[in-house]
Amino acid sequence: MTVDVKTTAGVSGIGQTGRILYDRESRETVGEPFVEGARMTCRGVNVYYGDKHAIKNVALDIGRNEVVAMIGPSGCGKSTFLRCLNRMNDTIDTCRVEGEITLDGMDIYGKEVDVVPLRAQVGMVFQKPNPFPKSIYDNVAYGPRIHGLAQNKVELDEIVETSLRKAGLWEEVKDLMTHPGTGLSGGQQQRLCIARTIAVSPEVILMDEPCSALDPIATSIIEDLIDELKQQFSIAIVTHSMQQASRVSQRTAYFHLGDLIEVGDTAQIFTTPRHQLTQDYITGRFG
Amino acid sequence: MNNPSSQPNGLNPQGRRAIEIVNAGLARRYRKERRFRLYGISAILASLLFLSFLFGSIISKGYSAFQQTFIQLDIFFDPAILSQESLSTANYPGIVKQSLRQMFPEVKSRQDKRMLYRLVSSGASFQIRQMVLDSPEMIGQTLQVWVIADDDIDMLEKGHFDLEAPEGERRIKDIQLAWVDRLKKESRIEKRFNRILFTAGDSREPELAGILGAVAGSFYTLLVTLLLSFPIGIASAVYLEEFATQNRWTDLIEVNINNLAAVPSIVFGLLGLAVFLNFFGLPRSAPLVGGLVLTLMTLPTIIIASRASLQSVPPSIREAALGIGASKMQMVTHHVLPLALPGILTGTIIGMARALGESAPLLMIGMVAFIVDVPGGFTDPSTVLPVQIFLWADSPERAFVERTSAATIVLLAFLIIMNASAVYLRKKFERRW
Amino acid sequence: MFRKSVLIGTALIFLVSAGSVYAASARDYISIVGSSTVYPFATVVAEQFGKTTSYKTPKIESTGSGGGLKLFCAGVGVEHPDITNASRAIKKSEYDKCQKNGVKEIVEVKIGYDGIVVANSKKTAPMKLTRKDLFLALAKDVPNPKGGETLVPNPYKTWKDVNPSLPNVKIEVLGPPPTSGTRDAFVELAMEGGAKKFDWIKAMKKKDKKAYKAICHTVREDGAYVEAGENDNLIVQKLDANPNALGIFGFSFLDQNTDIIQGSFVDGVQPTFDAIADGQYPVSRPLFFYVKKAHVGVIPGIQEYLNEFTSDKAWGPDGYLSEKGMIPMPDEERAQFQSDVKALKPITMK
Repeated sequence: MTVDVKTTAGVSGIGQTGRILYDRESRETVGEPFVEGARMTCRGVNVYYGDKHAIKNVALDIGRNEVVAMIGPSGCGKSTFLRCLNRMNDTIDTCRVEGEITLDGMDIYGKEVDVVPLRAQVGMVFQKPNPFPKSIYDNVAYGPRIHGLAQNKVELDEIVETSLRKAGLWEEVKDLMTHPGTGLSGGQQQRLCIARTIAVSPEVILMDEPCSALDPIATSIIEDLIDELKQQFSIAIVTHSMQQASRVSQRTAYFHLGDLIEVGDTAQIFTTPRHQLTQDYITGRFG
Repeated sequence: MNNPSSQPNGLNPQGRRAIEIVNAGLARRYRKERRFRLYGISAILASLLFLSFLFGSIISKGYSAFQQTFIQLDIFFDPAILSQESLSTANYPGIVKQSLRQMFPEVKSRQDKRMLYRLVSSGASFQIRQMVLDSPEMIGQTLQVWVIADDDIDMLEKGHFDLEAPEGERRIKDIQLAWVDRLKKESRIEKRFNRILFTAGDSREPELAGILGAVAGSFYTLLVTLLLSFPIGIASAVYLEEFATQNRWTDLIEVNINNLAAVPSIVFGLLGLAVFLNFFGLPRSAPLVGGLVLTLMTLPTIIIASRASLQSVPPSIREAALGIGASKMQMVTHHVLPLALPGILTGTIIGMARALGESAPLLMIGMVAFIVDVPGGFTDPSTVLPVQIFLWADSPERAFVERTSAATIVLLAFLIIMNASAVYLRKKFERRW
Repeated sequence: MFRKSVLIGTALIFLVSAGSVYAASARDYISIVGSSTVYPFATVVAEQFGKTTSYKTPKIESTGSGGGLKLFCAGVGVEHPDITNASRAIKKSEYDKCQKNGVKEIVEVKIGYDGIVVANSKKTAPMKLTRKDLFLALAKDVPNPKGGETLVPNPYKTWKDVNPSLPNVKIEVLGPPPTSGTRDAFVELAMEGGAKKFDWIKAMKKKDKKAYKAICHTVREDGAYVEAGENDNLIVQKLDANPNALGIFGFSFLDQNTDIIQGSFVDGVQPTFDAIADGQYPVSRPLFFYVKKAHVGVIPGIQEYLNEFTSDKAWGPDGYLSEKGMIPMPDEERAQFQSDVKALKPITMK
């Protein structure tokens, strides 16, 4: 990986372009990571995999009804950070999370917090569509069932239908409810997974490269859907595609080797990045 | 990007085009492949040959045991012998002997009479007894009854005796041959399907011996094994695979489970003797204890198969369930286990099949025994199919040779059914939708 | 599914404890263990007994004489066997163990004799052997053929080497492994009997019993003696296939296969029913079973089983046991044991 000598030298200061150079010591994030009335706040988050320091002192807010995109080269820690937000990292024995992450003011890593309701509030959509090997109906109904969200079959049917409608899949599958979810096309499967996630009425939806396994048409459908969904949910999306980030997000965060380098309005990040590394990344000099 | 060995125009340093070198080596590569395929095919053929040899020898020896020779006698249900008071203890052998004497009135000497009586099995009198007890109204009548022939006559009919040998050295004497010929002329001898083989327990008379007792014993034993090893095996596998953290203790347990799978089965028998019989005081020769011992033996197999099967469930399914807020338990029971079940079932059935064919560990806990009564429960003394085969193989009577093979055929049939059902279940449930 | 497993598990624990209780409370069938040589005879009696009486058929395990006595002497109570079969008399050490474990009164029943035969295929002439020939052909170390009172590793390759009157064929004997009672009896009766023909070996018995036993009882291991496993049927089949080989097994197997194999003469006597019964045939041994007197009356049917076994229709000269190859005792001896059994007269060993 070729990185500009100046940026890795670890010297603080202003370069010739007038942009702030990367500084390993201070780890200050360029731009404004905080928003008013944030849904989720992260302060001083450090993540370790055994001895490896994967996320370094990251602070970031996720606002209401906004889409925050996280971009950066492979291995920069954006997925790891995303998975901290609903404590999916708990499943990895060697993983250790420090710092404070709150959801509506509650510290989600607090001692008394149960991950089961947390994950109902912070849903997740994964890179590869992963519907359960069950019927389409059962896929969507699974969450409401285990959490007891529906009193009876009628309510459950309603939740399934509205979730599928919100996910833009209802028209396509309304006659195929008993068909296996794995029989759908990739894009449909991913929308089914989104429907499954929103069926438990979360507040935040985390999306980990949701379109990386999909073709361009399916991708554009999902992107439109994300745009719709932000009316109701806060969304954090990790993506490799800068076009996608620029299309769907309001704010963008750029990660590099575990550091959050720069946060800002999506338009600003992609037009006038303030950090040399961000500039290098979005202009395609590495990544 | 600057690879020094790559030259322009596909030329290598010697100046030959790469494609020429590839072509030159092509024939050798294909020869190698052909040779390998030949090895594979010959390996398969060799194993098929051995298999067909095994099956061929067992079936050719054993098929005749599925038939049994019967002799038709004119039985006079003599009211003088069958007094109403003691029908169950009357002299039924006397009735059979009387009938034989009437059919061959020329037999006078005591020696000859004894040989005459040996034409029919000692089971014939039990057969007559059962008939009388079932319908006492036949007393006083003379009926034609097909009774079981003695094993020597049966062997003679099936051609297992060398009639060229001098008379003194044959089990069948000339006089008996003459009687058999006469019976044949009157068509009073015929071979029928051997129902006794499937409906009777063990016996020291080959013509009365059956495998039902052993099959029932195997059934009860395997039932105990299945009921114990399946839930325990799954629970251990799920715990180790999904819940336990990886540390030295789990490593130790894993190594030990793998070791247990390789321990000679007789060791489990010794363990069973020490623990279940001597310590817990469970009854000897009981299917319950046999099942417990075989559970110890099959558990490692099931745990290893279940763990492998659980591991093969894609992590994306786990993440999907967890991401929606399922607890770990729900993730396992709702998603992981159903997906792993075909593999677990296959492992279980293969373990069960192994348990079905096992006799060594049962020796220690007294299941290698002569047991006539068909067991009716988990604590009745019983034996199992492979043990029955072992016992029959060691019996001096010639007719047990074919019965040994017949019992082996039945055991093989059970094994084939079990293994086939393993394949079927896997195919059926493995639909990944 | 897990709830179901838990249910089944609990049910099985109950079953196990129920089994324990069951074992401690009652047993309604006779439990017999012991010698594999007596097994074919005891099983016939047991079956007959089960079919003609209202009692359950006794359960018979073939554990070997030593194994049977060990189980038998373990104690009194339903979990211990009632009867053990033996192809030899009880040893002092076993009797002492019985006494120590509370098995005070043991009734000994001698049931008849078993001949051990050396047989070969009918396709060749019968062998005319002596016990001395057998010893010289099969012992690991034999007296030096050049004379003197020393032992040399067995040099004999053919029967002619052993005894010039025997045919010139390779020594090849198929026999049971050391765990077998037949093997014990063979080395004791045939080989030891042959070794005694050498006076200096016989003299050793008094001086150094251990060395004497080692000479008489050790079978050569250079391939001339082939351990053919416990399965005597297999030996019969192998003899049929290899006419030069000899086989060692119990008389009942010869009796059942007289069209394939023939018994060799030993000391001029062929193993026939009569020759064994009147004691002419030298390689025969008595068969026994032992009854725990404390169990008679507790376990139903023991007395009746004894009556069946000691009835003339079972162990008599024309009884069904003789048909299975057992050699009956002379009349007086039978009568003696019959009355001892009736009285349940225990043995004493000082």
